[in-house]
Amino acid sequence: MSLIAATRSLILMGRCVPSVKQNASKIIVKKLELDQNLLMYFNKDEVYYAHDPEQQCKTGDVVLIQELPEKLTTYITHKVLKVVYPLGDVTDPITNKKVAGLRCGSVRYRDDLDEIDQLYGPTKERFDYKSAPERGWQEDNKDFSHKDSYIKYHESGEEQPYSVPR
Amino acid sequence: MIAPFRSIIRTGNCVNLLFTRSLKSDLHIKWVRPEKISCWDAKKSGDLTPLSELDMTEFPLEYRNSEELKTANEYVRKVFSCNFMGRRFATQRFRQELIDKVKSNSLDSTSCEVQIASMTANIRNLQEHYKLFPRDKSSKIALKEIIDKRKKRLKFLRTWDYKKFEWLLEKLDLKYHPHPTYERVERKKSLRRLTSQWCEKVREQKLAEYRDKLNNEKEIFFKEKLESLEWIKKEEIECGAPQTITDADIEAARKQLEEWRALKSNKE
Repeated sequence: MSLIAATRSLILMGRCVPSVKQNASKIIVKKLELDQNLLMYFNKDEVYYAHDPEQQCKTGDVVLIQELPEKLTTYITHKVLKVVYPLGDVTDPITNKKVAGLRCGSVRYRDDLDEIDQLYGPTKERFDYKSAPERGWQEDNKDFSHKDSYIKYHESGEEQPYSVPR
Repeated sequence: MIAPFRSIIRTGNCVNLLFTRSLKSDLHIKWVRPEKISCWDAKKSGDLTPLSELDMTEFPLEYRNSEELKTANEYVRKVFSCNFMGRRFATQRFRQELIDKVKSNSLDSTSCEVQIASMTANIRNLQEHYKLFPRDKSSKIALKEIIDKRKKRLKFLRTWDYKKFEWLLEKLDLKYHPHPTYERVERKKSLRRLTSQWCEKVREQKLAEYRDKLNNEKEIFFKEKLESLEWIKKEEIECGAPQTITDADIEAARKQLEEWRALKSNKE
């Protein structure tokens, strides 16, 4: 296999970050770079724009991307293959359980927390995962984290939803 | 006063004699500096609803289920109410009400949502307090610290459990913005940004106008194309020259014209 064909078939794993592009997502792939003077590896971010017309990956998701046979535009060189870990809804690949977070370096599952609640007696008002809507129902309403925010520099009279007062 | 002077100087061929200090811009842009909002303000902390009216006639938390107080005499009830015990007992009640909205089990005090709800109650209470006592700096510091702490908690909850995060924003009526990259608000920088935005707007407007103009000419062009093709074909037959135009070409041109007309009528 030639070098070009090898890079074509390479699948990269990266994290989706907010961008202004309509049919593409901005993916940041973290790589390690050797510093020859210190002989130490340092993190290095590489930015790729992946074609994603169906908007399947959202900000913060961990996704797999692959290089397109032809460049779509000067920037869009890759395509999104699959969303591996959606942000805030991670499934453990070994046990197939939903992850609630990390506590003291070990994984805490949602089932474990649910078990504790069952022991103490669950309340009516508690959060129910089954009836919960999909991620994104508070977008542009109360949650503005899917886009980059900026410090407000001009009072235009119009509402600037992504601005933060200085 | 200065304007007539300036005109006199200008007419006398001495242009740069009179300086004015402020920036004289002939751009169509006016920059308005956004108002500075304090760190403790609800606009910055993201609390959409303020502290609700505290009911001072209620009993404090520890006496709320007491059977004896319910049947006690009027004066005892008055002494044991929040009004006599102090405002902090009323705020404790408010905090408990907010926690009861989100807690996942009856003895829950450690879960993420309960901690955020508790902080929210404290923040709303301190915001009201600071409005009344603006010289109480220690409470201001505490308020700022809790706001930042809650924001950090919300940030963690977002990465752990996005659905719960959104549900909590709805329940507690909070607004969440990610942390922006810090920059000073400056006149020149803002004006440059606004100018480039305005230029972009003008460019897009001109491009749209030009596109409209070309689209309006399209129908006339297609018509002319069809007519001239028919004419060429007729002439070639009359002169006996070898035929270069086929029926398919004419049919394609007619189809193009019809398609464009259909598209135009659809748009209208």
